Amino acid sequence: MQRDEIYQLLKQKYGFDEFRPGQYQVISDLLAGQDVLAVLPTGTGKSLIYQFAGTLLPGLVVVISPLISLMQDQVAHLNYQGEKQVAALTSQVDFQTRQLTLRQLPQLKFLFVSPEMLKQPAVLTAIQRVKLALLVVDEAHCISTWGPDFRPDYLGLGQLKQQLGSPLTLMLTATATAQVRQDIVQQLQVPQAQQVIYSMNRPNIYLAVANLSNEADKRERLRQLLTTAATPAIVYFSSKKQTELIAEWLRSTTNLRVAAYHAGLSAEDRFKIQQQYMTGQLDVICATSAFGMGLNKADVRLVIHYHLPTTLADYVQEIGRAGRDGQQSLAVLLYAPGDEQLVRNLNELTMASANQIQADYQRFQQQQPVPDELAAVLQFYWEHHYSVSQVVDIFDARQRQKQRELQQLLAYIQTADCRRAILMSHFGEATVPHREACCQLAGGAIPLAELGLTAGSVTTTPTTTSWKSLLDQLFLQKI
Amino acid sequence: MFADYLLGLFATEPRRAKAVYNVCRGRRTVSTLFAGLTYQELAWLDSWHGVPLEKFEAAAQTLVEAGWLTAPQAGYWQLTPAGEAQQVKLKKTLYQPVAWQQFQQVDVRRFTALSQLALQVVSEYSHQAKRYYPVTTDPGIQAVVKGWFRRWRSADLVAMIVTELREFLTTLSTELATIFVQSLTGYEQPGQTDQQLAEQFNRSVVEILVIRKDLSCQWVAWLQAHPDGPLADLLRPLVKINSVSTSAWQTYQTFLQTPDLDQIAGRRHLKLSTVREHLLETAILITDFPFDRLLTPTIVAPLDQLFGSETAVSTWRFDQVQAAAPILDFFWFRLYQIMRCQRAA
Repeated sequence: MQRDEIYQLLKQKYGFDEFRPGQYQVISDLLAGQDVLAVLPTGTGKSLIYQFAGTLLPGLVVVISPLISLMQDQVAHLNYQGEKQVAALTSQVDFQTRQLTLRQLPQLKFLFVSPEMLKQPAVLTAIQRVKLALLVVDEAHCISTWGPDFRPDYLGLGQLKQQLGSPLTLMLTATATAQVRQDIVQQLQVPQAQQVIYSMNRPNIYLAVANLSNEADKRERLRQLLTTAATPAIVYFSSKKQTELIAEWLRSTTNLRVAAYHAGLSAEDRFKIQQQYMTGQLDVICATSAFGMGLNKADVRLVIHYHLPTTLADYVQEIGRAGRDGQQSLAVLLYAPGDEQLVRNLNELTMASANQIQADYQRFQQQQPVPDELAAVLQFYWEHHYSVSQVVDIFDARQRQKQRELQQLLAYIQTADCRRAILMSHFGEATVPHREACCQLAGGAIPLAELGLTAGSVTTTPTTTSWKSLLDQLFLQKI
Repeated sequence: MFADYLLGLFATEPRRAKAVYNVCRGRRTVSTLFAGLTYQELAWLDSWHGVPLEKFEAAAQTLVEAGWLTAPQAGYWQLTPAGEAQQVKLKKTLYQPVAWQQFQQVDVRRFTALSQLALQVVSEYSHQAKRYYPVTTDPGIQAVVKGWFRRWRSADLVAMIVTELREFLTTLSTELATIFVQSLTGYEQPGQTDQQLAEQFNRSVVEILVIRKDLSCQWVAWLQAHPDGPLADLLRPLVKINSVSTSAWQTYQTFLQTPDLDQIAGRRHLKLSTVREHLLETAILITDFPFDRLLTPTIVAPLDQLFGSETAVSTWRFDQVQAAAPILDFFWFRLYQIMRCQRAA
C-alpha cells in the first residue's frame, strides 16, 4: 500500500492529518509483513496502530492484554470509534457468552484475551480455525516483569504463537530497557523483529518529588497540591482501602469532586467513574494502578503518587497518563521515610525459597493439586520440564532484579541532580540538558505559576435535579 | 452495612447459619429451599448472589461481637434480646426490599444489565449521538440489545420508552424515582455510582445497593404487568413460568400424569432419589402442590400422631419418625413437613 493511501485512510477513518511519532513506521513495517517490537512513549496512540493495520489486513486481530479492566476499556474505545466486531474474552464473561463469542470468531475483527485465557484449549482451537491478520502483545514488558514469578503464562506466549501458526506479530510497550526488549523478542521467538524505538521521555511533564517526614505531612501536602495546582488529577495509591479513605477525606475537606477507583468496584461503577472523569464531572480520581491504562483523557494535568510505584518503568507508565494533549503537566511523587517497605512487602509476595520450590516439585511429582498462587506459578515450570535448580535461579534473579529496581527508584527520589536524567539513563537513553521546566531539583519549589499550572476557579457541587427533568435530559423528545 | 441486613434474617429461635447463607447466595438444593420455607425467607433466595462465605461470616461475627447474635450450638445462630430490639429498630430505619421475590422467577441481574444498556442506547439515539462508550462491553449483553434495538427502532421508540419510565416512576416515592433515574447511563450522563448516591441520600452504600436491586425487581414486576412495550420484550425471555427449575418442573408434569414414582423415574431416565428431590423442590416452590396424591392416609396417620399439634416444623426430628414408624423414610417426613408449612401459610 502506498504512503498516500495510508494517509488518506488516516484522514478518512480517524480524521487526522498526521500520525504521531512512530505510528507510521510501525504500520508500514507491519504492512510489509514484518514482525515489530514498538517502544513508543505513553500517549502515542499505540492502539491506533493495530486498529489501522487490522483494517487493512484480512482476518482477525488477536490482542493479548494483561488486565480485564484494560480489555474492557479497549473494547469500549473501539465501540466508541464505531468498530462493532470486537469482543473481549475474560473470566467475567459467562460460559454461554464465551461459547457464543468463540462460535462467532469468523465475524469478529478484534479479540482481546489474556495469556491465561488464550492458552485454554477451547479458545486456542477456535482461534486456530480462523485466519489471523495480526497477533498483538500489548504491554509487552509484562513478559519480562510478570512472566518469571507472577504470571508465567506470559512465558508460554512464544509457544502459543507457534500453535497459532506464527502469525504476523506486533509487540507494544511504552517502557522497555534493553534487557526487557531482549526478553520480549527471545520469549516470543521473533529475533528478526523490527525494533521501532522512540524515547520514553515526555518533556511536557514536569517531574517533582516531595520529601515529607510522615503520613500526616503527606496527606497535608496532597491536599495542598490538589487545591493549588491545576486539575484534572489522578492520585495513585498502593491499596484499595487508601483510595477510599483519602477520597472521602478530600471530599469532606475540599471543594473538589473526588472519587475512588479500584478493582474492587463493580464494572458499572468503574465505567461511571471513568466517564464522569472523562466528561469533566470529576476533578480528582484516587486510584490503584488499575486506573488509566486504557484511559483516553487528553487533559490530565497532574499525577500524584501517594505511595511509591514498584519500579521506575511503572512510574513512567503511570505519570504518562498526564498531558496527552501535549500541554504542560505535572507529576509529583510523595515520599516519607519507610515508604519503600510497602514495595518490599509487595515484592516478597512473589518470593520463593529453595526449600519451597523443592517441596512444590515433590507435590508436582506426586500429582497433588495446586494449593496456592505460588504453586500455580511453579506448575508452569514443572510442566515445561525445568529443573528445581533452574527455577531457584530464576526466582533468585528476579528478586535481585526487584531489589535493584527499588534502589533505582530511591535514587530517583533522593537525587540532587536532574530527575529526568535519571529516568532517561535508566532506559539507556542519552540525557537532555536540564532546564527550568524539566524537574524540581532537591530543595526547590514547584514553579506552578511559571508552568501555568495554578488551580482554576473552584467548582461547585451540582444541585440535585428532579427525576422528571433528568429523564427529559436523558431522552430528547422531538416536540 | 451488610451486617444490618443479615441481622434481619435471624430470629429468636436458632437458625442454621449455612442454610441462611445458601438462601442468600441462591443455592437451590432441597435442604436450602426447605430452610428458606421454614424460615419464611424464600423471598431472599438468590438476593445476595455470589456473596463470599468470608464476607457473610465476617458480618455475622460483628453481630456476635455487638451482642446481637449468639450461637446456641455450633453452626446455628439466634437473636439475643438486644438483637431482637436492634432488628425491630433496623426494620423501621433501614430500607426494606419489597419485590425481591422476583429473583426466584426472573433473571433479574441479567435484565438489569440489559435494561441499563438498552436505556443508554435509546438515550444516545434520542440525541442522535453515534459515538459513545457503552456501559457494558459484555458481548452477550451487547448482542441481545443490538437485536432488540434493531427490532424496535422507530420514530416512536423514544416516546414509548419515556412514557413507560414515567408511568413506572410515578408508582415510586420521589427518593426512589430519583435514585433510579440518577443511576441510569445515557447521553452526557454517565450516571451516579452507589457511593455517590449514598452520600447524596444520606444512606449507606449497602442500602443503596439493596434499593437499586429492589428497584430492578420493581421495574421487572411493573413490566410484567405491562407486557406490550419494548422493554417488556427485552424481559420476556428471562421470565420463567415459576421458580421451579426446568428439570424439576418436567418431573412434576410427569407426576401429574402418573403418581407412581418408579414409573416417573423410568420415563424421565432419572434415579428415584432425583425424582423425589424434584418433587420436594416443586412442593416447596409452588402453592398448589397436590400433597394428597402422595401423602396417603396410611403415611400421614403416624406423622399426624407425632406432630399433629406441633407447629415449629423446623424443630421436628426424623429420628422421632424412625422410632414410631420405621417404614417411613426421610422423603415422606420432609414432604409432610412441607405440606404442614404450606397449609399453615
